[in-house]
Amino acid sequence: MQGLVKDLSAFLGPSQILSLPEEMLAYANDATHYFKSRIPDAVVLPHTTEEVSKVMKYAFAKEIPVTPRGAGSGLAGGCTPVHGGIVMDLKRLNKILEIDKSNMTAIVEAGVVLKRFQDILEKRQLFYPPDPQSASVCTIGGNVATRAGGPRGVKYGTTGNYVTGMEVVLPDGSVITPGGKFVKQSVGYDITHLMTGSEGTLGVITAVNLRILPLPEANRTVVVVCETLEQAAEIVAEIIARGAVPAMIEFLIKLAITIMNQYFFPPLPTDGEGYLFMYFDGTEAQVEYEAKLVSDICHDMKAKEVRLIEDQKVAETYWIARANVYPLIQTIFERGNAEDITVPRNKLPDLVRAVQAIAAAEGVMIGLAGHAGDGNMHPSILFPQVTSEAEAKAKIAIDKLIRAGLDLGGTISGEHGIGIHKAEYLSWELGQTQIELMKRIKYAFDPKGIMNPGKIWMEDGDGNA
Amino acid sequence: MAMLRLEDYEKIIEKCSQCSYCQSTCPSYINELSESFVAKNRLLLIKETLMHERMPYSSKAKEILDNCLLCTNCTQTCCSKIPIDDIIISARIKAGQKGAGGIKQFVMGKMLTQRGLTGVLGKAGSVAQKLGIAAKEIPQLASRPFDKMYSGTYTPEGEVKKRVAYFVGCGTNFIFPDTGEAVVKVLNHNGMEVVIPQGQVCCGIPALGEGDLEGARNMVETNINLLAGLDVDAIVTDCTSCGMMFKEKAAKCLPDDDPLQEKITAVTSKIWEVTDFLQNQGLNMPPGQLDITWSYHVPCHRGWSPTVKDAPRQLLSQIPNAQLKEFDNPEQCCGGAGTFFMEHRDVAEQIRSNRLEEIQNTKSDVVLTQCPVCRFYIGFKVTDREVTHPIKILARAYGF
Repeated sequence: MQGLVKDLSAFLGPSQILSLPEEMLAYANDATHYFKSRIPDAVVLPHTTEEVSKVMKYAFAKEIPVTPRGAGSGLAGGCTPVHGGIVMDLKRLNKILEIDKSNMTAIVEAGVVLKRFQDILEKRQLFYPPDPQSASVCTIGGNVATRAGGPRGVKYGTTGNYVTGMEVVLPDGSVITPGGKFVKQSVGYDITHLMTGSEGTLGVITAVNLRILPLPEANRTVVVVCETLEQAAEIVAEIIARGAVPAMIEFLIKLAITIMNQYFFPPLPTDGEGYLFMYFDGTEAQVEYEAKLVSDICHDMKAKEVRLIEDQKVAETYWIARANVYPLIQTIFERGNAEDITVPRNKLPDLVRAVQAIAAAEGVMIGLAGHAGDGNMHPSILFPQVTSEAEAKAKIAIDKLIRAGLDLGGTISGEHGIGIHKAEYLSWELGQTQIELMKRIKYAFDPKGIMNPGKIWMEDGDGNA
Repeated sequence: MAMLRLEDYEKIIEKCSQCSYCQSTCPSYINELSESFVAKNRLLLIKETLMHERMPYSSKAKEILDNCLLCTNCTQTCCSKIPIDDIIISARIKAGQKGAGGIKQFVMGKMLTQRGLTGVLGKAGSVAQKLGIAAKEIPQLASRPFDKMYSGTYTPEGEVKKRVAYFVGCGTNFIFPDTGEAVVKVLNHNGMEVVIPQGQVCCGIPALGEGDLEGARNMVETNINLLAGLDVDAIVTDCTSCGMMFKEKAAKCLPDDDPLQEKITAVTSKIWEVTDFLQNQGLNMPPGQLDITWSYHVPCHRGWSPTVKDAPRQLLSQIPNAQLKEFDNPEQCCGGAGTFFMEHRDVAEQIRSNRLEEIQNTKSDVVLTQCPVCRFYIGFKVTDREVTHPIKILARAYGF
């Protein structure tokens, strides 16, 4: 793209533009590098909304694709610049503009790293629950753009439940501020929540208004070892049915535990097939009561072992290991493709059985972990070796997994987003009429089609699933 | 084969899932907030240039690799357990970067293979002055190096509980001999006999960081031959980087079937950082009261011992009235990083500025760290309070 750097230099400093391949390799994809990867023509690193606006005005005039980017830790290829052009790296927009305890709200720029925000809140006895497992690096802007969630979804919902407003730069460079610093609003179309989860296809989110909560005073961690995967899934369904509300219920298989055991002392027994990590928060009396209730349910349902972790530091090791489980998989497999199926929670045992049946029928290894409490599971095809044969088998298995999830009344993505990873399955869930409606919405925002093109739905020539 | 050969990492480099978690701890990334300067990009770049040669090893590629501080934070963060620092060292070896010129070349020069920094820092300082750069931030040499004051065996009064060898790093020997004095006195006071063998040289980590495998190997050979034959229960060092060099890197400087490997194993099995050793053994003598508040900057080269980062915390908690005030980010790099700060002044200073802000905000009486470069590099800017090694505080609590 001739003259691009020179043009961008008119409104950005030299340290804000990258254009050599050596410095842009990391920008060619997110954590799903095996799907698609393309080095962009340039990366821009704006510091202000004004700079973002200038870049958009320029790109709009020249019809250059722009792909907004947070940490690049996504799991759907959402920020992979499949059409080249400009990657808009928003990590330097990293100011926490306001924490307002009297209103329990905050305003943060898009590039603020989630964990940094949460740590600062915690020091003030405040709490922002959404917890994608990449919290140490992922940005709030990326979380909002993908409507990200994590284990706490079961009790606290996901990012979308906390966004009350935002600042957005539209593709032509104009700046809008839908929503605001209020907990409710009934004023026409809800642009704020249309942008939430739009994966950079409608505009660039530069700042966000968030709801925050008081920090719960107490917590408990309970680890449950189950004879079978079905037993673990049935326990989860029973806990939900009995009205208990843990803040997290994580489902793990023996394979994951054997990798994670390096973090635990004493290590967890590996004679179970299914494992549940649960976390309760609230007042001391509340967590005491809930942990007991859930322990009783687990005992009633003949769990092999129920381990109540009293020591906070020890409890933390379980959650750190949980956060690292996906990258840890890479230590023993060449690849692990994580799916993001979410089903009604009483269907979890059915989903677990379906996953096992598909693995057996297709002759593939499927790792199963997920935020079982909210019905969100991440079955992962595990490749001891990546070969074209293994990839072909995996494709058939993934198709069947997705279909099984939908047949159980579920959705193809609970928290990762669609990106390029799941675009081919979009029509399975939404049908053509909804997709066409989405395309018309996209056109209303982005008539030139420059915002993160090639995402969410299939493009002409991609083939159709 | 060991030997830090880039081709030996072709398989493990593929384990990078590109999760980007390395962004959370890489000081050069945190400073730049550009993914060009994070481990993920460095690994991809090494693959494309020096490993598979699909791209030329350009000056930009060199700049990006040179900007790595070899702090090992990414290696410690990496869930896929990729030895990122070893891969970067191997890339530098392959790129034939033996000394990057300028001041660093003086510091890194051949004299290191004799007794490390003897006179070299002084020379570097004068050269720097001539060039009009950085002179003030070149560490000043102590009037007498430690090895001119202490050598041989130091036997405690009363029962000898353990016999330990003391490996004296260049930082202590030339810049901070006070640390060495404290090590000897505290160990003796706790019933440990201290052996300081003559003829020690630099541990080799600075040379290795420069991609000078041969230089590093020579130093490893000298030190290992000196230490392996000693009849001691442990070998202590006060420097976390020296400890890392022995524990994790020394064996990689020689072929796997080299006869010296056996001796290396014997030495590395006994290596301890001194506060880690004392905490592990338990203090035989209770320290006296000290009315101070202290903060602890954890050196980056801590990954070789699971307990080294908590040892000073636990050890000094036994001093009545001494109170720990934690930094917000006690494990983030200060920017010094061996000789990095000499050649990458701006980057190093920017990284340090965040630590300085934390130090100002924390308002403790003393800042402690086991790394002599951190001590120097932070201490150069922190003039309103003491910056020192934790062993010195313990020595003080004993009345030394």
